[in-house]
Amino acid sequence: MLAGMTLLTVVSCSNPWDDHSANSDENIEQTLGDRLTNDSQTTEFGKLLEETGYDRILSGSKTYTVWPPTNEALASVPQEALSDMKSKKLFVQNHITLTAFSSVSEQDTVTVQMLSNKYLEFKNGAVIFDANVITTDQYASNGLYHVIDKALVPQQNVWEYLKSNAGNKMSSYLLSLDEFNIYQSDSTAKVRAKSEPGLYADSLSNSYLKNVLNLNNEKNKYTFFLLEDDGYDAEVEKLKPYLIKSNEDSTTTYTSYFTARDYVFHKAIARENLPDTLESRFGVKVPIDTDNIVEEVHLSNGVVYVMSTLDVPLETRLLTTQIEGEDPEGFSHGDKRGNTYYREKEDLNGILFYDIMVQNHGEPEFAIYYNTRDLYSTTYEVYWRAINDIQENTFEQRLRFGGTFDLEGEVVDPIATLDYTDVGPDVYDEIFIGEFTLEESGDLDLISLIAANTGSNGDNTLTLDYLKLVPVIK
Amino acid sequence: MKTIIKNTGNKIALGALAVLLCFTSCQEYLEVEPQDKLNEDQVYNDIFDADAIVVGIYGKFMGLAKKHIILNELRADLVSPTDNADGYLRELNEHSVSKNNTYANPKDFYEVINNCNDALENFKIMVEENKMEISEFNERYSDIGTLRSWLYLQLGMHYGEIPYITEPVENIDDVQDISQYPRIPFDQLLEELVDYIESLPYTDPYNTNSTLVIDVDGYNTAKFFINKNCLLGDIYLWDGNYLQAASHYKTVLETASSSGNDSDRFDIYRIKYADVVNHNDFAVGYTRFAEQDASSLVNNNTQGWRSMFAREKDRLWNTEWIWSLPFDSNFAPKNPFLNLFSNSGGDYLLKPSQHAMDIWEEEVQQNGVPYDARGKKFSYNMINDQPVIMKYLFKHLDPISQLPVDEFQTAGDWFLYRAAKLHLRYAEAANRDNQHKIADALLNYGVRSAYTVEGETDKTDIEQTHLPFPYDFDARNGDFPRYRADWHRNGGIRGRAYLERTEVVGDSLISIEGNLINESAKELAFEGNRWGDLVRIARRRNDPSFLADRIYQKLSREGNSNASAVRSKLMNPENWYLPFEWGVE
Repeated sequence: MLAGMTLLTVVSCSNPWDDHSANSDENIEQTLGDRLTNDSQTTEFGKLLEETGYDRILSGSKTYTVWPPTNEALASVPQEALSDMKSKKLFVQNHITLTAFSSVSEQDTVTVQMLSNKYLEFKNGAVIFDANVITTDQYASNGLYHVIDKALVPQQNVWEYLKSNAGNKMSSYLLSLDEFNIYQSDSTAKVRAKSEPGLYADSLSNSYLKNVLNLNNEKNKYTFFLLEDDGYDAEVEKLKPYLIKSNEDSTTTYTSYFTARDYVFHKAIARENLPDTLESRFGVKVPIDTDNIVEEVHLSNGVVYVMSTLDVPLETRLLTTQIEGEDPEGFSHGDKRGNTYYREKEDLNGILFYDIMVQNHGEPEFAIYYNTRDLYSTTYEVYWRAINDIQENTFEQRLRFGGTFDLEGEVVDPIATLDYTDVGPDVYDEIFIGEFTLEESGDLDLISLIAANTGSNGDNTLTLDYLKLVPVIK
Repeated sequence: MKTIIKNTGNKIALGALAVLLCFTSCQEYLEVEPQDKLNEDQVYNDIFDADAIVVGIYGKFMGLAKKHIILNELRADLVSPTDNADGYLRELNEHSVSKNNTYANPKDFYEVINNCNDALENFKIMVEENKMEISEFNERYSDIGTLRSWLYLQLGMHYGEIPYITEPVENIDDVQDISQYPRIPFDQLLEELVDYIESLPYTDPYNTNSTLVIDVDGYNTAKFFINKNCLLGDIYLWDGNYLQAASHYKTVLETASSSGNDSDRFDIYRIKYADVVNHNDFAVGYTRFAEQDASSLVNNNTQGWRSMFAREKDRLWNTEWIWSLPFDSNFAPKNPFLNLFSNSGGDYLLKPSQHAMDIWEEEVQQNGVPYDARGKKFSYNMINDQPVIMKYLFKHLDPISQLPVDEFQTAGDWFLYRAAKLHLRYAEAANRDNQHKIADALLNYGVRSAYTVEGETDKTDIEQTHLPFPYDFDARNGDFPRYRADWHRNGGIRGRAYLERTEVVGDSLISIEGNLINESAKELAFEGNRWGDLVRIARRRNDPSFLADRIYQKLSREGNSNASAVRSKLMNPENWYLPFEWGVE
């Protein structure tokens, strides 16, 4: 024991703990900001960092990954990408992301959100977007960097591209929807976009972005077909007779909207993968002829195909409207909930259907009210599926389109009232009921399903699975 | 040098202690009774000690609830593991159970069995030493003896060959020692159980004056204890003695027949028809005169079918429940089911299988609604696009938001026996005893509807079976002359569920038995009966495919690539059983 103590006294001159914790790796003592400005490959990018203040951000305590371009790569960046401080900042942001992304990953492709809010794909640790990594996994105290051979010039997104193409008639129309409201609810949304910037604000600021697809969203990818002026005019003219409004200006505005809304699709579809037909989110089948592609523009959130023409035939452009019986807007008498059945049943083939039935209510001409949006100025053929499966007898019901309530609560000035139609027991087919014609396009706020004019129960039953309004081509 | 000094000091201290001890009496010094533990001879002193033992055993027994539900449901066809489930649960689902699977460990069962054996032995000593009246002994001895038999029946259906031990065991791990405790096959176990339960001195529920039937913490204890005649019926049913099974079940069915209270007499355990006006019932019902309105389904915690799992333990609750043990937020053991089934607050380990959901969808209700409401409306719900088993969650989740009302409110129940199960089991026994019409009546629309004569107002000779016990049912309901017989309110299992009646196709016996087991799936799903149902019928018919096909259905409907392999494995009955093994610590 004494010998041991003597030994310890002799050895204890050097402190092994200090030796252990001392670090010989200088890289770890430097921040990303320091290392990038000192790396001879990236001195020019380092200067840009200092100029924009990002050298200080990269010296902070958060962890970053940077893909700095070499000096040669930076020299070949077009002037306009670095024309002012705003664009320089955006340029720098487009090379930096929060958290560490090593070149080694379990996934072959990692989608990285850059500080510019653009999403770039980092593939196999070797390629980011269209630049090759030439020096990987350089580390510093607060992150990593991978030197690349081509600068990542920030790209426009689809909406920014349209904004920069205001000379095109279609894009200038879409931009005008910043001001013009297609639907009434758009106006409150636009006010909100201004008063509450941030979440959803970019999608609320324009009637097209709000009602069709938010082309400003960097997180999704879109395919957009931009028509050249002649082709666009032809499509609008074709649709105009079906969107007649009280004046010519409104007609044009709405026709343009109902034309343009069918030209954008979810997901970026490469030219070689474009199918014959795409279906818009409103259900319109759009035939695609790749011969008519004039230009193909790749953007940060998708692709724009500039087309000479993109002809959508009226047969597919005009949509059938279906109104579900079990989704009424109201009733002529408010106290018949106990007689109103929201039903879940099966037809003779065992197919489930949901419908509404109002029975034993005791009111002559009891009515269920519906409404619908976006009808065309044309004649409609009317069909219904009305199922009378629990009564033995046939009863009758009729449809009335349009009209307003007068002071007595009676509906006056309807657009059309169809004849009473029999609803026989156990008929599960869709039946043609009649026609009505709208002079003006737009919403139809009052559609009434009216019971027989009798108080005797069993004869004044109402039932409806759905109504189908099929537009007729003029 | 230091060590030497230390040793000397110790020696001095030891010496001092030794001297000190010499002056005190060794006897008294060493025999201090511990203040917080009881010695063996302090436990069995009087009737209240015996009661404490009985309650203690049931408390311990409740620790088996989770395992009971997992083994009986996950191994059968109505429950599947979720993505959250661990490997052991998946093993049970696919019938490839490894030896260290904790859910398959029978040790917990034997711990409770050992407690029972200890109590049974000591009860005998107590009665010999006149510490307990013979009538008190009979009640308690029979109760614990029946509970032990229930545990053995469970072990038999899950493990096949097991040691049948009726004496206390010093070291529980010895149970695994085959030389000491040889294992007997399931058939022989059933014989042993029949012999044993035949010898029990008492088969009724505890007398209502018993010191065990009291209100504790807001719970009446009467329905805590196993119903002996139900288990007797079950064991005879497994054993194939159908007349005996039916007799014991019938005794329970007639529990209230001597009651002076008419509504008790007509309602208790009789599967009462629907109260279509007020819905104070356990029926699937819709608002009166709006039956066509699917949205008017009576779906709340105080009315209709759902309420039997959610309501207070009131008069109506008592008409359905025969054996149910409550879990309380404030007392151990903790309710294990919230964690097992809930996807908000719980781990959500088990869900209804697609196969189970499809079974309910095949039914049509009397108003044409094309599914069995006991399925997606009650037994399970879609919550956040996930199917969630609801029977155990009604007391925990808000009926509208389907979120926990209070995370710490974990009350619930272990559902063990109720009237619907009793009716289905009785019908199974009666059907095998060639009473097909009675079995079909109880399954469908009840006795009165099956035995009535259309247009006849004088009910004197109709609406009854005219058969001796246990097949005697009088369901007369007439006004001229007036009859209100004990069974006049019986509406049948499917009548109460508002379904169309099932058809008997081909051979009555086989067809009705199939109908009964299918109905049991829909009525009793997730209550821990399914594995037993499948094994019992497959054994009885000597047809392993009865079990194997249903497990195959479950696995293949969910795209499990092992489905066919599991089916062929289960075609050999030896592979139905779990490995009887546990690790010795």
